[in-house]
Amino acid sequence: MPDFAAPVSRLIEELKHLPGIGQKTAQRLAFYLLRADREQALALADAIRAAKETVHQCSICNNLTDVDPCLYCTGSGRNRRTICVVEEATNILPIEKTRQYNGLYHVLGGALSPLQGIGPEQLQIKSLLERLKTGAVEEIIIATNPTAEGEATAMYLSKLLKPLGVRVTRIATGIPVGSELEYADEVTMLKAMEGRHEL
Amino acid sequence: MPVRESEAIILRTYPLGEGDRLVSFLSRAEGRVRGVARGARKPKSRFGASLEPLSHVRIWFYERETRQLVRISQCELIESFLEAQRSYNANVAFGLIAEISEAVLPEREPSDPAFRLLLATCRAIQSRGSIALPIGYFTLWTVRLGGWLPSLDHCAACGRDLAGQPGWANTEGSGVFCRQCRPPGSRPFSAEALATARTMLRGSLEKLAAAGTRVPDELTNYWMDLIEQHIERKLTVRSMLELAP
Repeated sequence: MPDFAAPVSRLIEELKHLPGIGQKTAQRLAFYLLRADREQALALADAIRAAKETVHQCSICNNLTDVDPCLYCTGSGRNRRTICVVEEATNILPIEKTRQYNGLYHVLGGALSPLQGIGPEQLQIKSLLERLKTGAVEEIIIATNPTAEGEATAMYLSKLLKPLGVRVTRIATGIPVGSELEYADEVTMLKAMEGRHEL
Repeated sequence: MPVRESEAIILRTYPLGEGDRLVSFLSRAEGRVRGVARGARKPKSRFGASLEPLSHVRIWFYERETRQLVRISQCELIESFLEAQRSYNANVAFGLIAEISEAVLPEREPSDPAFRLLLATCRAIQSRGSIALPIGYFTLWTVRLGGWLPSLDHCAACGRDLAGQPGWANTEGSGVFCRQCRPPGSRPFSAEALATARTMLRGSLEKLAAAGTRVPDELTNYWMDLIEQHIERKLTVRSMLELAP
C-alpha cells in the first residue's frame, strides 16, 4: 500500500526538486498546500506557470525579464557609457538598492569554476565583447563576488577587456559597514588596506 | 559535544540554504571531513575569507549526534592562496588538486603525507606561477600514496633493469615493461621521462623547482589516467587544464 495518494506523492516528489527541500519539508509543504484555500494553492500554481512562460533572458544583458530588451537596457535615464558585470541576475538588485548607479548591466550567468566544469565558454563573455563593439561604452565595472571564483573571473575579464581601450574597474572589497576591525581576517584587512582612498 | 581543533585545508564549498556553506576540508588530525558553516555567505560572516578553497586554516568544529555533517564553529586563516587563484591557470590547477584530494581521500582517515603534499603543492603553485611541475608532482605522489604506482625501475614481466631504457605502461597501471615484454596497446615512456619520474620520487618539490625540473605531459597524463581509473570517473577539471592557455 502506498504511503500517500498518487497526486500527493507526485506533489511531494516535485517539491523535493527545489533547492534545500528534503523529504520531510516536502511533505510538510505538500500538506500545507492541501489544507490551504483552493484559491491560494491555485494562485501559487498560476504564479509559477506565468513566471516560467513569460520570464526569459534579456537578449542584450542576459538579465531575467518579461520584456525584451529588459527595462535596464531600454531605460531612458540610464547611463549607456558604463556596464556593470555581475555573476547572476539576483546580483542586480543590491546594486540598484544603492540608488547611486544608473548604468547598464551584463549578467555572466556564473563565474569561472573549474570544479563545476564552468570555463569561459560557459559564461556570457562573447555577448559582452559584442556590446563593446559600438564604442559607446567607456567603463566596465566588474562586480563579481569577492570569492576565489569571482576574483579569477574578474582577472580573466580584465585581461580580455583592457586591450579594447575600455576602462576596467573592480568593486571595492574589505571591511563590511557595521562590523569591527578586531574580527577581520588578514585577507579581508589586506583588501581593505589596498582599497583605501583619500579623505 | 566537545569542540575539536585541527589544522586543515579547505577543499571545496557549496552554497547551502539561505546563507550557509557546506564545507569539505582536509583536517590534519581527522582526515577529510564535511561540515556546515552557518551564515558563511553573508557579508558580516565571522568566517571572512577563511573558507575560500585551498585556504590553510585552523578550524574548530563539533559533531552532533545522528548528524553526518559536523558544525564548524570557528575558522582562522594560517595561509591564504586567494591572491594566487586570481590567475586563470592557477585557478584551474588549484581546482584540480582539490578535486583529486576530495575524490581520492576517504572520509575520516587521517593522512599526514596527503596533507603535506597538498600544502606543498599549493605553495609551489603560488610561488612559481607555473603549474606543470606542481601538478605533475602532486599527481605522481597521489598515485604513490594511494599505492597504485607501478615500479619504475624494473620490467613488470621479466624484471629487467629499466635504468637508461625506455618503458611501456599498460592502461591498467599494473606495471612498466621493457621493449621485449610490452603488452599490445601500451603507451611508451622515454628513458628521460622515466628518469624524471624517479627523480620526482626522491626530491622535494622545492628542490625540483630550484633545479628547473620539467615534467613531460606524458607522465602527468599517465598519473591522471591512473587516478581516474581508481576513482572510476573522469576528473571534471582535467579537460579545463588541457584547454588552459
